[in-house]
Amino acid sequence: MNVFYKCVGAAALGAMSTAAQAGDDLTLQLKWVTQAQFGGYYVALDKGFYEEEGLNVTIKPGGPDIAPTQVLAGGGADVTVEWMPAALAAREKGLPMVNIAQPFKSSGMMLTCRKDAGISSTDDFAGKTLGVWFFGNEFPFLSWMNKLGLATDGSDGGVTVLKQGFNVDPLLQKQAACVSTMTYNEYWQVIDAGLTPDDLMVFKYEDQGVATLEDGLYVLEETLADPAMEDKLVRFVRASMKGWKYAEMNPDEAADIVLENDASGAQTEEHQQRMMREISKLTSGSNGALGEADYERTVQSLLSGGSDPVITMAPKGAWTHAITDKALN
Amino acid sequence: MMWLIAGAMVWALGWFVNVRLAALPKSRATSLLVPVIFGLTLVFIWESVVRGLEIQQVLLPAPSVIAARFMASTSILWQDWVQTVVKGMMSGYIIGCIAAFGMALAVDRFPFLQRGLLPVGNFAAALPVIGMAPILVMWFGFDWQSKAAVVVVMIFFPILVNTVQGLQASDTMQRDLMRTYAAGYWKTLFKLRLPAAMPFIFNGLKIATTLALIGAIVAEFFGSPIRGMGFRISTSVGQLALDLVWAEIVVAAITGSAFYGGMALLERKWTFWHPSQRN
Repeated sequence: MNVFYKCVGAAALGAMSTAAQAGDDLTLQLKWVTQAQFGGYYVALDKGFYEEEGLNVTIKPGGPDIAPTQVLAGGGADVTVEWMPAALAAREKGLPMVNIAQPFKSSGMMLTCRKDAGISSTDDFAGKTLGVWFFGNEFPFLSWMNKLGLATDGSDGGVTVLKQGFNVDPLLQKQAACVSTMTYNEYWQVIDAGLTPDDLMVFKYEDQGVATLEDGLYVLEETLADPAMEDKLVRFVRASMKGWKYAEMNPDEAADIVLENDASGAQTEEHQQRMMREISKLTSGSNGALGEADYERTVQSLLSGGSDPVITMAPKGAWTHAITDKALN
Repeated sequence: MMWLIAGAMVWALGWFVNVRLAALPKSRATSLLVPVIFGLTLVFIWESVVRGLEIQQVLLPAPSVIAARFMASTSILWQDWVQTVVKGMMSGYIIGCIAAFGMALAVDRFPFLQRGLLPVGNFAAALPVIGMAPILVMWFGFDWQSKAAVVVVMIFFPILVNTVQGLQASDTMQRDLMRTYAAGYWKTLFKLRLPAAMPFIFNGLKIATTLALIGAIVAEFFGSPIRGMGFRISTSVGQLALDLVWAEIVVAAITGSAFYGGMALLERKWTFWHPSQRN
């Protein structure tokens, strides 16, 4: 009896102490594993920017086979990091995702090709094997191939598309002439593997005019309709952008913070410091608010998919400035 | 609400009908009807729950939506089926069977192989396919060859073990009798030991059918040309086209059942003498 009451008392004390912990809860689902690509959020977490705003943020890393849109649909997260093409496609499929902030101004996607596979310009793509990841990342690639007039279904005169895993082996093993890489991640894996920039021909999506908006923050429409959630999101975006600007100014410290938060232990300091610097190139120029012109460009690129467009009609209500207007003023 | 009530009523009705049918003397008709009614009841309950509780289609599509998608995508499903089942699974299955069977004969002929090889084979069988598949994709390339390799790795050990055990199934008395007939090793093998091993071999082959399909589909998650059931399932999940995922699952289920059933029919034909085949 005595022990029982002691246990009950201890549990009550424990419950009271958790209630005393400040902060509204918010869960963020990342698009990929913990890495400097999401440095701003980790910086905001570790440097206390979220705490200052009265938020208790849980960051869930993504990974292979985790589709952020599905996590959002299933209620596993309140807000997710996702690329705009995948979010607009999900919206057309019936999942009402809305963009509330756009920390990434430019696109880091590019196609890295071997010169010895005979690639020196986009005219050489026909008849070659090109790799792309899928899982939402194939939309910009398919739009680009449509723009170049290259069929992707394996018919003559087109390209053979390869579903690459999340590594650059197809390029190294010469199984593909080109693979999709990000300027901040896989490209450096190719360099680390021994190929030099002279061996490679890179096609940046920004230069080709087919860039689409990448990492943005998305929530479901019903979340925005709730005033309490809206307030939390405003504070979250404000603190996250503070984190991003801090990361831009202090890339090495941000890389360290990311490494500390990496539960898998798979990331290396050199890779993360490099990644943080490359990511800063993509986030600079954005204060978090979505640029309407950038949005229109992305939508046009996705609509122009020829016989197989990524989206079939211009989305309505796919973005809002309501959160960023309040957060950044 | 109406949907949930309808679902509950269909469930009760199906249950009632099945209980009455199961109580009748066992005939061909009842043994066919009972599972069919059960299956249809389950599908209807699924439909009514999804519609009644208004579950989002990107999480769990209703069977009617899946059926519509199935009808609309037969060309995609067909090319995926050819890539995965015909090119990946069947070639891997045949190569794996021949290799395992040959190894079993060698192990039977040379006892030192049995002592050395089977424990190593035991170890190899424990390697998870999720770990082996990316490595084999790297070695054999992205096309069906790596999928066939994964299938071979998965089915090799079950068939080997079952065949080795089967070859030991014949009696000492029976082998002695063959000896008195002056039958050499090969004659004894073909006339006595292989027929006696047939039930065991078929056991291994049946196990291998399910493993082969799993191996072929899972291997495609790790790199494939943009065709194939595993590819379609994984990328459709990423595109939130869950109805196509379920349509592919239906195709996989039909293929797996047909393959297993075909093997069971062959077994019935060739091991008719075995007690397990009596009704």
